[in-house]
Amino acid sequence: MHAPRITAVTALAAASALALAGCAGGNAAPAADISAEPEYSGTLSILTKFGGDPLGPYFETLAAEYEELHPDVTVELIQETDQSVKDKTKTLTASGALPDIYFTWTGNWAQNFIDGGLAADLSEVIAPGTEWGDTFGEASLSAFEVDGKYYGIPLYNNGKFMGYNTAIFEEVGIEVPTTFEELIESCAPLRAAGYEPIAFGNKDGWPALHYLQQLFAYNVPADVLQDDFSPATATLDHPGYVASLEQFKTLVDECTDTGTGTNGVLYTTAQEALAGGRAAMYYQEILEFDTVTAEGNTLTPEEFGIFPLPVPEGAEGDPEAIEGSPEGYLINARSPRAALAVDFMKFATTLENATTLSSPPYGQPSTVVGAVTPETSSVAVYDGITKVNEASDLVIWLDTVTVPEVADAWLAGGEALISGGSTPEQILESVRNASDAAQ
Amino acid sequence: MLLTQPSERVGAVPVAQAAGTPPGRRVRLPRRGIRRLAGLAWILPALVVLAVFVYLPLVQNLGFSTMEWDIYSGSQEFIGADNYAKLVRDPIFWSSLGNNVLYAVISLAFQVFGAIVLAAIIEGIRSDRWRRSLRAIYFVPSAISLTVAGLLFYFIYEPNLGLLNHVLEQIGLAAWAQPWLGQESTAMVAVIAMSQWQGFGYSTLLFAVAIQRIPSELYEAAAIDGIGTIRRFFTITLPLVREMTGLMIIVTISGAFQVFNEVMVMTSGGPNNSTQVLGTWLYRNGFVRNDFGYAAAIATVIFVVTLAIALVQLWINRRRRVEW
Repeated sequence: MHAPRITAVTALAAASALALAGCAGGNAAPAADISAEPEYSGTLSILTKFGGDPLGPYFETLAAEYEELHPDVTVELIQETDQSVKDKTKTLTASGALPDIYFTWTGNWAQNFIDGGLAADLSEVIAPGTEWGDTFGEASLSAFEVDGKYYGIPLYNNGKFMGYNTAIFEEVGIEVPTTFEELIESCAPLRAAGYEPIAFGNKDGWPALHYLQQLFAYNVPADVLQDDFSPATATLDHPGYVASLEQFKTLVDECTDTGTGTNGVLYTTAQEALAGGRAAMYYQEILEFDTVTAEGNTLTPEEFGIFPLPVPEGAEGDPEAIEGSPEGYLINARSPRAALAVDFMKFATTLENATTLSSPPYGQPSTVVGAVTPETSSVAVYDGITKVNEASDLVIWLDTVTVPEVADAWLAGGEALISGGSTPEQILESVRNASDAAQ
Repeated sequence: MLLTQPSERVGAVPVAQAAGTPPGRRVRLPRRGIRRLAGLAWILPALVVLAVFVYLPLVQNLGFSTMEWDIYSGSQEFIGADNYAKLVRDPIFWSSLGNNVLYAVISLAFQVFGAIVLAAIIEGIRSDRWRRSLRAIYFVPSAISLTVAGLLFYFIYEPNLGLLNHVLEQIGLAAWAQPWLGQESTAMVAVIAMSQWQGFGYSTLLFAVAIQRIPSELYEAAAIDGIGTIRRFFTITLPLVREMTGLMIIVTISGAFQVFNEVMVMTSGGPNNSTQVLGTWLYRNGFVRNDFGYAAAIATVIFVVTLAIALVQLWINRRRRVEW
């Protein structure tokens, strides 16, 4: 009986030693040299958010073309979807296996990687005034700027708009609403005509936050809103929050077919309702415009129009603000192939590749100057990106702009508001508690 | 009927005889130490795999549960039992635990007691063809992966286009139509119902096998004595499938505390955290809130609960079994 006991003890000791080694591991590694001459050999790993159709082939084509240009380079793509890229990124981060290039949102999401020393400072090559940097719109570069340093490569811009079926509006005889109150009033005639006024699915929780963030931007002054994103300065006591929550609840109850059951509907199911001509409106990102009007859908590009979510009367915030922000890529600060990674991203953002990205079927409006034109992009994408460029302020998504604990409290609060489980005041209180706890 | 210890039923066979050596011929056995080392060599690969993939993560998890871990900077600060104290104060942890208990209770009712009754009914059918067909029909859902079944039921429950609401409307019960997964009051029960549909047939099949092992003479004797079907079920079937029942109770409760896939696919723990179970709350804290230390503490609780259940199972297996 002794030998097995010894083996068990040895195994436990080895496990403990390994566990302690893992604890002490940290992320120590030499910093990336992004300005070095790239060595065109080895494997370059890239984590994208373009998994599945129609976006998947974009990076696959880029990788194939890059490999053809540099035969000794192999590009390893890890393509995830909007939802799964979050888990994948965190798993790779926790296990110290971040790829050379990886997708990022702006706000707190990117900030975590920058603070953790996992994102290379790209100022030398991408800051405004540099050769590469001058190919981008300056505002999109600034979205990834922290303390005067530029970390991100903005690939495409994004914004949230109410997409609508112009044929249905014409049939029912309603105009594009100019105030939030008019939007709510337009729902009754649309429903009477047999259409779902606004298709909406909140199974994943974040679609509600998109409405809420735009309403917060309208109802809460910009400086107050900015302070409230950070737990250190947040008070979350402006009356605009409760007003926004009430307005959103009204929209769900008056304008969606599922009302309090909207939490059981997929975002994509709602998207299909507009694409299939069953719904008159659907609140969506620019990135989705070419999807809802894709070939085979009832909704055609000619019958598709957009307008910003109308501003509530008497709102105290910024009526010109639009919710949205660029999305882009970071380069692993510990990558031994950082210079090659920069070279690949320069290739990905040439005007030619940027134009391809901005055109159907991809429809991702590139941040590269001159890539989005009425000739190359769909009318709606061009219109959307023009409105984003003209906006007084871009308000980052609520689920990425603030710390995860607060974002999660908003997420649960949005669901509770829809189902009627909590009042606006109770939701705000729970968010306030989460913010206090996160300090 | 005979009551024996399991070990008593295995006869002590001499090594040489067991190896097929003709009786009467002596074999020089290796020395005890060498034999022991040889034995160790055989089990070493399994021990290494167990140590690396089971015990190491277990030890690491215990370590992580006492840390505040920033996955971005890689820093880990020792905070003692703070994560466990947080766990006690966390209302969603307790509601998650409550959902696991609800899951276990409903699963016991359907997958153990309901399954025994169904198995007895199926095995009581005289026609072989019908018996086989019914076993197959009930088993089919178990052959579908939980993720696929979850997606399938997500669409059945869908408030606009879902089959369930449509059927209710067609049979004049439109008032009963609900956004099943979209509201706190029905979401958890809807998820559990899918799980019962998926697991019920598997349990039934296991009980059917246990019932088949009961000698038919016992039922025949009872029938001659004029004992009815229901009494036969309680006096013959139930006692003689006691071992399988015990095992199924343990497996079902243990499974109820490890539930994850179906909740993740159907509701992701929403709406408003109403369908969180320990597994999904662990996931949410780790992968959404970046609080991996707290997630590790929840994992420890799941481990302790399932370990306790496993110990009960070991204890039950030591008990005398019924033989005939």
